[in-house]
Amino acid sequence: MTSLQAIVAASVLLGAGLWLLLPRGGSTGRGLGALLAAIALGLFAYVVVRIDPEHKIGDAVFLLLAATTIVSAIGAVTLRSPVYCAIWFALTLLGTAGLFLYQGAQFLGVATVVVYAGAILVTFLFVLMLAQPKGLTAYDRVSWEGMLSAATGAVLVGLLSAIVFAPPPVEGAPSGSLAGAAAGRVSAADRDAEILSPQHMAHLGGQLFSRHLIAVEVAGTLLLVALVGAVAIVAQGKAAAGAAALQEGRQHG
Amino acid sequence: MDEVQLLERFLMVGALLFGIGLVGFLSRRNMIVMFLAAEMMLQGISVSLVGWGRFHNDWGGQILVIFILAVAACEAAIALALVLMLFHRSGKLDVAVWQSIRESNQPKFVDQQLPEEPAAVEHWPVLPQSGVEPELPVEEMIHRSHV
Repeated sequence: MTSLQAIVAASVLLGAGLWLLLPRGGSTGRGLGALLAAIALGLFAYVVVRIDPEHKIGDAVFLLLAATTIVSAIGAVTLRSPVYCAIWFALTLLGTAGLFLYQGAQFLGVATVVVYAGAILVTFLFVLMLAQPKGLTAYDRVSWEGMLSAATGAVLVGLLSAIVFAPPPVEGAPSGSLAGAAAGRVSAADRDAEILSPQHMAHLGGQLFSRHLIAVEVAGTLLLVALVGAVAIVAQGKAAAGAAALQEGRQHG
Repeated sequence: MDEVQLLERFLMVGALLFGIGLVGFLSRRNMIVMFLAAEMMLQGISVSLVGWGRFHNDWGGQILVIFILAVAACEAAIALALVLMLFHRSGKLDVAVWQSIRESNQPKFVDQQLPEEPAAVEHWPVLPQSGVEPELPVEEMIHRSHV
């Protein structure tokens, strides 16, 4: 089976699996959906991973992290209770943090856990606790256009991965479209001196506060504006709700 | 390890995360789950960016992911304020409540009636009773030293 055939088959299976897994009012076919999605992920892994006997452990670690990330992502999107969705999304974040560490992006791995899983997700859970009515609501048990959206996602994934693994357009070029693009342009020594250097934070901070200094300032301003905006939204909403209650009181009174 | 293969793997994981997040954003109706799916799409982009940054031996990918983190924090703050306000007005987290602001040429969404799902029976652990029930000191319990 060529890569392209495997990608097409995997995308179709992924779309069908996601459609069956999405909430549709009942719980029929969820097991079949999970099976189809698992087969699709296995096919994607078959396309991507060529086990290298010298790096068996590294390959196994990558497969474990990727499987954690993708499986929990599917869980976060398809489960019916929003609290479970948030918890599975936390597992996705841990998986991506592991993937960042696998790439040598140490700061990002830690920052993802602290900022995303620690702050953003906990805020989401707070809002869920404040706002969630008791039990499963009707709108959590059905989805909009489940088949169409699953098909959209499957087509997108298929196209993106087919671009990466497309057969070479030129005879004799090395397999894969990426391999020809940059084979051997960056040597291992270059990488060890720059992006994989032991002084990771020093390099990253140096880049951030020299070349990207203006962007850092703009990001700080953006955070301030977002803070003011959030406060304004809440305050205005409160004022509007208060005025509405007052009017209702006048009508009744 | 072969760097091309490493890049291919991370691009694949990024594409899958983005696609699954897209499916969730398009199909779910709970506003909070929709925002979780949007964050998942951002994660997919981040994974791809870090992969490209390592491949080209360039810090730009990781720096951009740091900015994505900042923007995601802003987005979460505003989104949650909005969701809370919308919830206070309608009492629901359903986006279909707000369909009156759709384009005028779009058909109205009609909710299908679902059969009621019986609530799951919860089994809590029970301790076996033993001994005699002690007499409750009612006088002491309702006594107030000052009013």
